[in-house]
Amino acid sequence: MTALAAIRVRLGRLLREDGLSFFGLIMLVLLVLLGLVGPYLPIGDPTRIGAGPRLSPPSWVFPFGTDELGRSYLPRVVEGIRATFLLSVVAVVITAVIGTMLGMLAGYFRGFSDHLVARGADILFAFPAIIVGLLVAAVVGPGQISAIAVISIATIPLFIRVVRSVTLGVSGRGFVTAAEVAGASSGRVMLVHILPNITGAVVVQLTYAMSIGIIIESALSYLGLGVQPPQASLGSLLREGSAYLTIAPWLVLSAGAVLSVAIMSVNLVGDAVRDGLEPLKGRLLT
Amino acid sequence: MRLIAYLLPRIAAALITILGVSVLVFLALRLIPGGYADILLGPFVTPEARATIAERYGLDQPVVLQYFHWLVSLLQGDFGVSMVTRKPVLDEFLRRAPVTIELAMIALVVALSFGLPLGIASGTAGRSRGGVARFIGAIGASVPDVVLGSVLIFVFSVWSLWLRVGGYVPFSEDPVGNLRVMLLPGLTLSVFGVALVLRTTRDAVMRVMTEGYITAAVARGERPRDIIRLHVLRNASIPVVTVVTTYFGFLLSGAVVVEVLFSIPGIGLYTFSGLLNRDYAIVQAGVLLAAVVFITINMLADVLYAAIDPRVGAGAKR
Amino acid sequence: MSKGSASALVEIDDLVIAYDTPAGPIRGLDGARLAIGQGETLAIVGESGSGKTTLGMAAGRLLPPEARAESGRITVDGVDVVGAGNEELRALRRDRLGFIFQNPMSALDPTMRIGRQVARAIGGNPAVETIAALLRRAELDDPDRVVGAFPHELSGGMAQRVVIAMAIARKPKLIVADEPTASLDASIREKVMVTLGKLRGETGASLVILSHDLRLIARHADRVAVMYGGRVVEVGETATVLEQPAHPYTRALIAAAAGNEKPGQRLEPILGTPPVLTARCEACAYEPRCNFAEPVCATTRPEERDVAGRGAVCHFAESVLTRAGSQREAGAR
Repeated sequence: MTALAAIRVRLGRLLREDGLSFFGLIMLVLLVLLGLVGPYLPIGDPTRIGAGPRLSPPSWVFPFGTDELGRSYLPRVVEGIRATFLLSVVAVVITAVIGTMLGMLAGYFRGFSDHLVARGADILFAFPAIIVGLLVAAVVGPGQISAIAVISIATIPLFIRVVRSVTLGVSGRGFVTAAEVAGASSGRVMLVHILPNITGAVVVQLTYAMSIGIIIESALSYLGLGVQPPQASLGSLLREGSAYLTIAPWLVLSAGAVLSVAIMSVNLVGDAVRDGLEPLKGRLLT
Repeated sequence: MRLIAYLLPRIAAALITILGVSVLVFLALRLIPGGYADILLGPFVTPEARATIAERYGLDQPVVLQYFHWLVSLLQGDFGVSMVTRKPVLDEFLRRAPVTIELAMIALVVALSFGLPLGIASGTAGRSRGGVARFIGAIGASVPDVVLGSVLIFVFSVWSLWLRVGGYVPFSEDPVGNLRVMLLPGLTLSVFGVALVLRTTRDAVMRVMTEGYITAAVARGERPRDIIRLHVLRNASIPVVTVVTTYFGFLLSGAVVVEVLFSIPGIGLYTFSGLLNRDYAIVQAGVLLAAVVFITINMLADVLYAAIDPRVGAGAKR
Repeated sequence: MSKGSASALVEIDDLVIAYDTPAGPIRGLDGARLAIGQGETLAIVGESGSGKTTLGMAAGRLLPPEARAESGRITVDGVDVVGAGNEELRALRRDRLGFIFQNPMSALDPTMRIGRQVARAIGGNPAVETIAALLRRAELDDPDRVVGAFPHELSGGMAQRVVIAMAIARKPKLIVADEPTASLDASIREKVMVTLGKLRGETGASLVILSHDLRLIARHADRVAVMYGGRVVEVGETATVLEQPAHPYTRALIAAAAGNEKPGQRLEPILGTPPVLTARCEACAYEPRCNFAEPVCATTRPEERDVAGRGAVCHFAESVLTRAGSQREAGAR
């Protein structure tokens, strides 16, 4: 109950001080809920071909219109939200686990393992995400697995760099030295003493990785390298719709608008978290 | 002397990174079904040609030796031959590079000419949260290239304004026509850049504005615009340089989505078409060149850091 | 005040400055009064949070944006600092004020050569010789080298001499030095203070030192103002105040200062914490921590009175002065 009250106070302050981020949080919650309960909503069957006329514009029956097979587009977009979020979340969780572990190892042990991890991060960082997408698609073939792999490859180096530098700062602090002197094992020091002190940076990085993940997923699926039909993701819907851009613009516009709102809401929530951890203060030169 | 001592380890690290990139690409390509001969010659080759390749690159030898042979041929500029045109892919990439570079320059110029002034104005406005600037930043960073490009294509194909969608003309043939084609994809790429530069500049400026030497300059009665010009901008520029070079590196290594969307024949579209045609020599070259360009651009950023901040590479602290 | 305000360069009258915080306004100054005479060296002492930095920075309106002047006045050389327009204020800062900050390294732009920074402080396009001459006045050993150096290439002591040179470049009437030697090695503090004192003499400026280092103050300040709870609680000649304090807080500060103890004697820490004022304090702010407190101290706000040649803000200043000191404070000096 007190945790709930604390959350309410925080939300209230966010609403007062940063309406934009509050809006982002609400949108993010709505989108996640929509993705979770989407299949059970009475909005129609995303797979039913010929539910309406082909490429019909938005109407009361088909709020986002219909696609080239006469499928209602709203349930398809909802399915796309689900697929896009799921893919990005899985990829970002993989990134968070690997990136945090490697970043902490590099920052805590320094020396050789630091060099190794830092070089490895540099190597991964040198590959632009979509170019990697092409390579991965060539090797393992297009699909969800390759989309997840590409997102992780693109976000792990960012994660490693941030976690490493935060860990460097934390491991110089007194309580870490105290634990070491008391004979705690390296694993224990990292898990019990360092990890709780870098979670802030990890959470901020997590939101950035999530936003990058959604962007990469949509780009890959747009190119046909990610989610494959008949399954829908926001990116693959853009791919399908772009063929009819001039005659049925509502397909690209509705999927594109939802995609943009999804990315923006994640970004805004990330901003709010960062502002909370490390506020920037404005000043004038008078 | 300071610059050399600072840059040498960085050049070494860049070379090691490029080597690591090549190992990864090499290993990835071994995993492609069909084997390495396919990559160099395409799948429709005679057994004799296969045997020649196998002998030349020592495909029966240990993997380490194979890598070595491969690396040597890369260094000699041999990235393989396109299955479609039967020409060396390196030549094809060099032929398309100017298109991608032009696109990247348009996007970079727009990103800087809007992002920098807006970021500086927002960072010096004295508010903790920039109103309009924050809004622009939030929108710009959130609309993916595909969506923005599609909207622009829709708008400009319905209301036929001066700008054109598709129908690429080389700059050498018709500079104005070329610009009419390149402006929309360039703008599409630039919007994310505007948001990126704006946010980074704003944050960096706000951080510098709270530094002691800014208070000291105010206390000396310096003019606000002199303080910004002489003290704020230079000190705030390092994170901006980092972000801008990374952005430019990504632009140069091929904006695949935008080139595909607008049918711009740059290296991104070429690499993508290589994948679709299973012309893997193109994919290999695309990935390697992208990584090398990216690493080189970041090296240049290191040079810029040293030019901006006298403490960089001085080794005085830490 | 012990000095007539006719010759005062700085007059601070009933100044109230509040900081806006998420939890509401907090008073940094709660009706501070002080007059600073021309050419004198005045030290302002007090714990962190006593208001001394707020007071010092208020002289140049250099407080953070969340600070607001609620009432009262502060005039510097006839200029109403709170009400002045931005240009008027800038001219005041440029021509008549000089500030020296605690950490010289952070007060210098790390990306600009010292020579250029000093040149900007001088104004116009000064010749290298002019710049070097100014640095030499601040007793920098090798001014020609320093001109071409970047801040990170200097030691802390050298950097502070550069900052001092910049502060006196335009012959200010008032120099405010906030803990000018606190970040320096103990071995060079005295030398830097001597330089600062010498340059003050040369320029004829008034010097305000914000410090908690009583030994330093005893050697370099003509007068001392002791601050507590956003007010000046005792002000007078250095020798008078430090040798015969009339305010219990001054006594406590002296007792807590290192360097005054006799062999074997313990330092007496000041128990409790400074007050956080959300509104005007209607009692004596020091009452909760005071050894001399009587019931009236908790109900009536003391006003400044002349007590034995200095100003004191205490209901029982006379008895503080005459009592040789409680058991706890015996031999504090």
